[in-house]
Amino acid sequence: MEFVLLALIVIPLGVCPLFMLIPSQYPQLSRYLAALAGGALFALSLLVFVVYEFDGGSGLRYELQWDWMENIGFLRENGITFYLGVDGIGAPLVLLNGVVIFAAVFVSWNIANRTKDFFVLLFLLVAGVYGVFISQDLFFFFFWYEVAVLPMYLLIAVWGASSEFGTFTRTKEYGAMKLTLMLVGSSVLIWVAIFALFVEAGAGTFDMTVLREATLDEDFQKWVFPLFMVGFGVLAGMWPLHTWSPDGHVAAPTGVSMLHAGVLMKLGAFGILRIGMTLLPEGAEFWAPVLMALGVTGAVYGSVSALAQTDLKYMVGYSSVSHMGFVLMGLASMNEIGVNGAVLQMFAHGVMTALMFTSVGALYDQAHIRDMTQFGGIAKRMPRHSAFFAIAGLSSLGLPGLAGFVAEFHIFVGVFEAGYWWAGGLGILSAAITATYILRMLSRAYFGPLNEKWAGLKEMRIGEQFAAVILIAMILFMGLWPAPFIDRISETVEMIPGIMG
Amino acid sequence: MDQAWLIPAIPAAAFAILLIFGPYLPRKGDWLAIAAIGASFILVFPVLADLLDQADGTTYVAGEKAWEWISFDLAGVGEKFEIEIGFYVDPITIVMLAVVTLVALMVQVYSIAYMKGDSRYGWYFTVMSLFAASMLLLVLSNNLLLLYAGWEAVGFCSFLLIGFWWEKRSAAEAAKKAFITTRIGDVGLLIGIIMLWLEGPNTFNIQEIITFAEEGGYDNTYLTGAVLLMFMGALGKSGQFPLHVWLPDAMEGPTPVSALIHAATMVVAGVYLVARMLPLFEVADPIALDVVLVVGLTTVMISATMGLAATDIKRVIAYSTLNSLGLMFVALGSSAVAAAMLYLFVHGFFKALLFLGAGSVIHATKEQDMNRLGGLAAKMPITAAVFAIGTLAMIGIIPLSGFWAKDEVLVFAKEEQNIIVYLVLLSSLVITGLYMTRLFVRTFLFAPREQAAYDHAHEGGLLITVPLLILGLLATVGGFVVFDEVGEALGFPGGFAQFVFLNEAHEFEFHLDTAITSSVLAGGGAVAGWILWQNKAELAARIRDRFAPVSTLLSNRYYIDEIYQFVIDRIVLGLGSIIAWFDRVVVNDGGVDGSAKLGYFTGFEAKFLQTGRLPNYALAIVVGILVLSIAMLVTQV
Repeated sequence: MEFVLLALIVIPLGVCPLFMLIPSQYPQLSRYLAALAGGALFALSLLVFVVYEFDGGSGLRYELQWDWMENIGFLRENGITFYLGVDGIGAPLVLLNGVVIFAAVFVSWNIANRTKDFFVLLFLLVAGVYGVFISQDLFFFFFWYEVAVLPMYLLIAVWGASSEFGTFTRTKEYGAMKLTLMLVGSSVLIWVAIFALFVEAGAGTFDMTVLREATLDEDFQKWVFPLFMVGFGVLAGMWPLHTWSPDGHVAAPTGVSMLHAGVLMKLGAFGILRIGMTLLPEGAEFWAPVLMALGVTGAVYGSVSALAQTDLKYMVGYSSVSHMGFVLMGLASMNEIGVNGAVLQMFAHGVMTALMFTSVGALYDQAHIRDMTQFGGIAKRMPRHSAFFAIAGLSSLGLPGLAGFVAEFHIFVGVFEAGYWWAGGLGILSAAITATYILRMLSRAYFGPLNEKWAGLKEMRIGEQFAAVILIAMILFMGLWPAPFIDRISETVEMIPGIMG
Repeated sequence: MDQAWLIPAIPAAAFAILLIFGPYLPRKGDWLAIAAIGASFILVFPVLADLLDQADGTTYVAGEKAWEWISFDLAGVGEKFEIEIGFYVDPITIVMLAVVTLVALMVQVYSIAYMKGDSRYGWYFTVMSLFAASMLLLVLSNNLLLLYAGWEAVGFCSFLLIGFWWEKRSAAEAAKKAFITTRIGDVGLLIGIIMLWLEGPNTFNIQEIITFAEEGGYDNTYLTGAVLLMFMGALGKSGQFPLHVWLPDAMEGPTPVSALIHAATMVVAGVYLVARMLPLFEVADPIALDVVLVVGLTTVMISATMGLAATDIKRVIAYSTLNSLGLMFVALGSSAVAAAMLYLFVHGFFKALLFLGAGSVIHATKEQDMNRLGGLAAKMPITAAVFAIGTLAMIGIIPLSGFWAKDEVLVFAKEEQNIIVYLVLLSSLVITGLYMTRLFVRTFLFAPREQAAYDHAHEGGLLITVPLLILGLLATVGGFVVFDEVGEALGFPGGFAQFVFLNEAHEFEFHLDTAITSSVLAGGGAVAGWILWQNKAELAARIRDRFAPVSTLLSNRYYIDEIYQFVIDRIVLGLGSIIAWFDRVVVNDGGVDGSAKLGYFTGFEAKFLQTGRLPNYALAIVVGILVLSIAMLVTQV
């Protein structure tokens, strides 16, 4: 199994040179290769998820550790190692990444401009994401983190779209630049914190399993944790450092939006949990109320902002801010139910937001506008597309039987149990606001009499439908039978120091 | 008892099959949906027989069966967090199961004829199956979370069905309004559920929570808060004031859907929830029950008066539903579970009857404004006859089912509550008599007002009339279960009251004075209605003109919808726009771009301070020395 984990990184990295070997006059060949690689990653990710079984300890399984540098300078035994392994939190996120990249390949099928370059960058990004989820060495964790963030700049700036909004303009270059600067800027905080941690632990190694055992001074934890919280928080769309997210999503091409909102934002929350809360439990406990306040602010602020949007992609973008707010709330509850909920929400939000972007993209490709007030009655022309969008929306408003409910419910219970009554109440209210903007959008754009301007719309492409069906299967899987997810997550979460029952 | 889980599972399976294979099935699979709900209906009987078999003398032992859905250990506590998929059967469940399955069956059979030729015929039966399955899940669930799941699913199905003809703007809006309004109530419900778990026995199981509360496990104020929050959910679902606004609009859906929503699957869920959780309301501060009572009473009065002004026949029936639901909540507020359940039971039949009868009229005449109808009794005798039964049952005329149920509510209101409650209820009877008679007279009697509609009128086929006749029969005799002899004959030892009263010592009571008072008032209302609206209704028109402001107020539904619309448009959406503006201009342009501009400024603009000219630097040095010297002097002194 450990070589399956290795394959998750080697396959996406390995296809990059293969793409380069394909002459650019055969874009179809690149697409088939991308589908093949995406399919392989999906299958292997599913395998990792299914096979994973808790085995005591911290829950880490299928470890593979290769020396890279040791006993040089400040490094001692096992200083920096290429160290892979997956635990109960990583397993569902690996699956999430596999699902989303597989779907994203089919959604990106029609990219005609520099097809192979697009796929090279896309798979590079995916390799970075897998690396973050399965690295057990802090140095490589950060390395993969940067690998995941940087291709985004080119993907948005080259293949993205600029938008005019009456009073202001958002160019794709602006979106790409803002996103990259904010994410790279925030990773400086992470880098500083990693070195502080390395020095304070005094073990001369970046091995996270060793760092986990180190006893760290409480004051030290208190000043280092916020570096991680803010550093990773930016990528998790933490209010008020979230503005790169809606603008970035709007500018990005559909497949990239899917990966970005679906998977990349999870890296931030995952970092807070895996590094911040696990290695600095006392710091996390001290800062939890702040994280809770920022999380709930983001949840309410995001949903209320989404209510005011008429651009479909901005609506989805702000709803991501809102739902990532739920994830942060779950983490800040610092108890098992809430943290379970946060991880569940990472998966749930990943698949449903990917589905939302698939749907919006399918509509935009034909209509070339995204303003919901300009549509009307298009469910008549695109019934399947409408059903898919509606399912994503219903999951995000927390309809039981779909993934969002399972996750949100755990988060709310956890937040109440942690004693943050006001946050729990506001969170549930925010879910009701979500219902309002989703239904308002459906009613405006999809229902009512058909606007004759759109009589020529056609159903979404078969490849997009295939992608949507895979994502819906995941939404239903988690919504109806969450036990496989919860079994894996809860046993690992239980082992995180500082998490209460 | 072991088969109880099949009751929701069969329609759910039918839904899944129809969703995927529906378009390829013969007749789009309508037979499958009907067979499924029919099977559920039949399955209620063995479940009931089980319950009766296990009856120990005068008490009923409730059955329970559960599977694990979510379960994990809580670190360091030694407890588990568990959520079950579990089913619980007691007499209240049985009453609900009987009403839901029977009415759903009748409605679906009727729909074959009513929905014939619709472009989404198959989709209709698909959603109908899910609707029934969700409601049955809600009713059978043994824990609050599964109940909430069924509750939300019911709301979602009603969204799909109210908006069934979504090409119509009004239908799309009504569907949205129904879902969002009920969802606002559900915010309270979910918080209430979590509160009960939080301080409770670490389970969502309803019976364990009730036992825990009865043993005084919850702090009294806390429990009161929790049950009132849960009641918010019931308010939304059952269309009680002030969350009633969605229900009259919900008639945008096909008429059989209205019948189902009003009689069996949607609005009674709130009544069921309060009935199920009533022990908690009783343990909590008395204010909890008072709130239920006052809400019920308010709804009774506003809905009855609004019913007087509406002219759409479906809308009038919709107000009568609000009126009836209000009465059920008055009963619950007086702790009279059995009276509420009895009313729910018979209401299911006569309300389905009224809606399906109205559907028969609309189907035949393509008209639903009573000002354009009239005289239909001659052309549609069966519809007119059963509609008359429904009308009289709703008004509460002896010996129809509505009379007995309403009488129980009145007796309890009189004995348990103060005289004002009783008087308000009595006065509502007159109004009910008035508007229901108006509905019947204007639709079926005297001269037709619109010849074209009248010419179209004809009786529907057997698929329409047979369900009407069955419901008509039930609406006539359904109330007789109040007599213990009838209950015993049907196989309920000790009578139906004993069965529904959940082993408590209340019995159905018949008070001659209450019965006479109510009959006189309701009958008087009906007669007055007849006089006012007979023939050309000149008398009614004159009264309306005399009290023009009142009439305007009523036909504008007390302007409650307008107030809500204002709040949504101006306050909620306004807040949304402000936050969206704040996000773009302050957070983004100010905070994010601002920091970039600051970098630009310091890097580019500030470089002009470096002029390269010696006098400038010398001046700066002198100023600097002066400032520092003064600062030093000041701090030294």
